[in-house]
Amino acid sequence: MAKKKQRSSKPRPRPATPAVEPATPVDAAPKKSKRSARVAPVRAPAFWFGFEVAWAKLATARVVMFALLAIDALLQIRHAPRYGAGDFNVAHLPFLDGAAPGRTGYEVGQLLLAYLFVLAALGVATRVIVPVSAAIYAWLYFGSHLDSYQHHYLVALLLGIASFVPWARPARAEPSTPVRSWAVRLLLVQLGIMYLWAAISKMDPLWLDGRTLGAQLGGSLRSLVDSTVGLKVVAVLVLVVELVLAATVWLRPAWRVAAPLGILFHAGILVADLEIGLFAVLMLGLYVLVVPDRVWIALARTEKAAMQLVQRLAGRRGGVAWIAAVAAAIAVGILSRFEHGLAVALASCAILAAIAVAVWWRGTGMSSAAPLAHVCALLLWLVVDRASTVAYDYYRFWGSSQRRLGDHGQAERAYRKLIDLAPDDALGHYQLGRVLIATRRAADGIAELRTAQTLEPARARAFVEEARWLALDGKRTEAIERAKEAVRVEPSSAEARQLLQALTSNKRPPKPVASRDDDAESP
Amino acid sequence: MLRRVNRVLQRLLELGPVAHVRALASSWHGRVILLVVVGGLALPIHYYMPAHRDPHDERYAWRMFSPMRMAKCDAKVTKNGAPLDPYTEFHEAWVTLAKRGRFHVIERMGEHLCAKYPHTDITFDLTCKYLDDTTEHYGGFNMCTVPYL
Repeated sequence: MAKKKQRSSKPRPRPATPAVEPATPVDAAPKKSKRSARVAPVRAPAFWFGFEVAWAKLATARVVMFALLAIDALLQIRHAPRYGAGDFNVAHLPFLDGAAPGRTGYEVGQLLLAYLFVLAALGVATRVIVPVSAAIYAWLYFGSHLDSYQHHYLVALLLGIASFVPWARPARAEPSTPVRSWAVRLLLVQLGIMYLWAAISKMDPLWLDGRTLGAQLGGSLRSLVDSTVGLKVVAVLVLVVELVLAATVWLRPAWRVAAPLGILFHAGILVADLEIGLFAVLMLGLYVLVVPDRVWIALARTEKAAMQLVQRLAGRRGGVAWIAAVAAAIAVGILSRFEHGLAVALASCAILAAIAVAVWWRGTGMSSAAPLAHVCALLLWLVVDRASTVAYDYYRFWGSSQRRLGDHGQAERAYRKLIDLAPDDALGHYQLGRVLIATRRAADGIAELRTAQTLEPARARAFVEEARWLALDGKRTEAIERAKEAVRVEPSSAEARQLLQALTSNKRPPKPVASRDDDAESP
Repeated sequence: MLRRVNRVLQRLLELGPVAHVRALASSWHGRVILLVVVGGLALPIHYYMPAHRDPHDERYAWRMFSPMRMAKCDAKVTKNGAPLDPYTEFHEAWVTLAKRGRFHVIERMGEHLCAKYPHTDITFDLTCKYLDDTTEHYGGFNMCTVPYL
């Protein structure tokens, strides 16, 4: 794992200049093997082992990258109901087929990841937490083809490499203090490799003539491209930019080219509104490592007062913060709307306790850094939960997939949770009504449909469903009345009109229209 | 800037490729570097090899937004000749992967259906339309006896 830089007992004053490429190769490999006592030592390549970045940059990269990953992990929770649905899975790696995450495993895994990423962002126990996070992330990604996005593969690789980065603050480090890390160079080289292959894949007539880009680009950016240079020119430009980034992103002297180019490129992807989730933002976060060190050193100096305050807060000793952190975990767990929020929040206390034991064991004093990070991690859950539709989507997608797959028990459970979460939302009542009718609990089902009708008085679907059940139950007159009501509230509903027509002409009610399943998850 | 770039590149190559690799291989840190760099450069090659039978499977090849990603496939499933709604058998995310033409996923879906409905004929008919307006047809066999597309 990330190895602490060897230092002499007396700290040497560091130059207040940005880290630069070392002038000479590093004399020895980072760790000598037993054999090295007998054979001549091998010169470690300075390109790797002499690579240094300013502490300000490394700290900024840590905060930005891991915070973004934490948010991404929480947003992924809405996909959890796919996992294990219908007892079917295909793992990326065959040996993981039997150990792939199910719905609960995936949700708990992402909650845990979000928690661990925040701890890592705030520099708590990074030597353990980053590799553990990498392992959990790899399990979730490689466990199923359901997650086939290549950016998740990239994140899995980068986390693996990041496990070797010395993210912890070196003793008495100033913003300009150089931190030597071969793993940071490797992160950048990995990005270069990705750009190279991405460019190679675009050396295809279908890309170069703009057709592929045209099929994907939308929104205002598409209008801009169409009205200016055209798709063909942009397609060639994308290829050129990727080739330039492949050659420059890992070379410090070329960062002056790579940083603005890469940031513009990924900001463009962000504006293009492609279906890649947070990936463009994550890539922008990675460019913290490419922006020249002096930018971060200058920024750290201007924010000195704020940084000192954080350090003072984190450096404070006392058990009160630890007790408050446990109380906060319980409070957040109760307030969290994620299915296993409370359980994982309590489990996070076990992680905090393990950190406390490690701190006590090392005798470094019980600072407030870990409990503060713990509270921040749990607050992030709460913020993302309340500011997004993740929890709502989770139950909605869970209910819809289980209903379609015929597991009415699970569908009912999911829709009841959805109603607990959003009692004034018609969808939960409508779908629960359908499930209850399908399981021969018509009275309860009709009551749910009536609630849905009240909550969405301008939509026909709950009226249609009730009319359909009345017709199947032999109550044709009442069915016609409800179908008329359906047409009245939503005259544009073809389904309502067809049903009314079928009922008035004494025909069987038509089968439900698939498009009415508007709670299907779009992968 | 070019002079500085040149200096870094010289540093990268100063040991010579063989000595550089040997130096890396002499420590565990270096072996990690070798694994990532060599693996990273070599792994995507598999997509371009003739042995790679599924053109729609672009995993590990960094082919984001590629022309192949734009292929649209129609996956028809039948059970003893009668149409079978895949959405009632698999989560919609799997059906979407099938519609992207992923052979391995489709074959496993076939295997799953054959196990679920023993002594039946399960067929997957995959018709893919590509960005250059060509169309390819895959499958059409009973997947319980020929488990490959």
